[in-house]
Amino acid sequence: MIWAIWLIIILIALLVVMFIFYYNRFVVLDNRIDNSLAQIDVQLKRRADLVPNLINTVKGYAKHEKGIMTEVTNARKALLGAKDLKGRMKAGSQLQEALKSIFAIAENYPQLKANENFLHLQQELAAIEDKIAYSRQFYTDSILVYNNSVEVFPGAFFAKIFGKKEKPQFNIPTEEKAVPKVEF
Amino acid sequence: MAERIHFEDDIRRNKLKSFFLIVIIFVFFILVGYLIALALDPSYFFVITIFATIFSLVYIWVGYYYSDKIALASVNARAANRAEHSKFINAAENMALASGLPVPKLYVMNSSEINAFASGRNPENAVICATSGAIEKLDKQELEGVIAHEMSHIANYDIRFMTLTAVLVGMISIIAQMFLRNLWFAGNDDRDSKAGLLIMLAAVIAAILAPIAAQLVSLAISRRREFGADSTAVKFTRYPPGLKKALEKIKREHVEIRETKKFPKAVAPLFISDPFKKKISGLFSTHPPIDVRIEKLGRM
Repeated sequence: MIWAIWLIIILIALLVVMFIFYYNRFVVLDNRIDNSLAQIDVQLKRRADLVPNLINTVKGYAKHEKGIMTEVTNARKALLGAKDLKGRMKAGSQLQEALKSIFAIAENYPQLKANENFLHLQQELAAIEDKIAYSRQFYTDSILVYNNSVEVFPGAFFAKIFGKKEKPQFNIPTEEKAVPKVEF
Repeated sequence: MAERIHFEDDIRRNKLKSFFLIVIIFVFFILVGYLIALALDPSYFFVITIFATIFSLVYIWVGYYYSDKIALASVNARAANRAEHSKFINAAENMALASGLPVPKLYVMNSSEINAFASGRNPENAVICATSGAIEKLDKQELEGVIAHEMSHIANYDIRFMTLTAVLVGMISIIAQMFLRNLWFAGNDDRDSKAGLLIMLAAVIAAILAPIAAQLVSLAISRRREFGADSTAVKFTRYPPGLKKALEKIKREHVEIRETKKFPKAVAPLFISDPFKKKISGLFSTHPPIDVRIEKLGRM
């Protein structure tokens, strides 16, 4: 009889340990996803912060390209004004498109192209683009890890108890695909 | 045609293999202790073990806790700055984002050779040090590959893991040595039976062989972790050719210049490629052969 009691005690203890383990695991994975989104956000904002400086530099050399400048400014405003990350992502990709046209136009202005400040900004923006790409990759990875642990047994069992569901890979506008990699 | 490898599977395989290897070391440890205790006196077992444990723990703890500083001081590195090493810093920041780890402290050491190493007991206290040669000669993708490899050592807690192995190997050697020394003084008191002699003989052989065997196993673990870091690096960059091309450059460099040994030998396991690499490889090296690594990356 005693061994049966021990067996039950051990089983219960095991269950409690597993319960705690999975609870914490889901919390950690959840936070990781939030953090990865925050990282993307940081980079998007850094990009927006560089824009006024860029516009000022370009203005000095290419006064007549008003259309593209307002496009960039508007995209930046939309980014800063967007309420949620999804909106910022969308505006961010528009901003990236507009910036691309600015760099294309710069080809016609040799003096602008040689401007040190402009070159520096161009490098900075390229670096930010890389960082956005890598943060997005980490976001996608985090979602994958989360979904795996929600679906795989025995995690799936505990996921049900905690009400954790599979998360969709939310569709971030894929700006990076369209942008050619620039080597300096 | 070689089968394609998925980096996730490879990471898992490498983890499993190094786990088994460390279990082997542990079994060694118990076995040697048991044999020696049989040969001498059971009471010795505890004395020896306690002695060895305290001694090696203190030694290793210092090495582990200050691993970053010791490694940096021994290669004479200076902190990277944004003006001079923006390529290095950007690559490291990118890999930090890709891995979800904090950006490690970055250092540069003067050397024309392409190399890099990581140290530190956890991601919060990690450092990555690259040679000026690596920053100069590698392009962006290659440098990211190399740094991703180092980030993987940090992410996989390889420094902690290798320290643990070092503790076990160290303890085995200390115990074995204590036993062998004890033999000179102990003489044989009442152990003149045939069985006693046999056990004694077995214990002596075990005491001589065990440290060597343990060392070999720990080197095997080190090589496993290197493969693991390569595949984790691919997980971070999603671009196997980057690290592959960097390794190819390193390989070419090794052939061209058999350069002088600038780095202290103790830091060899930390580097991306063994700075002391000569012709012998295999059982006695901390790193797997570079050709095998290149070939494996080619299949990812």
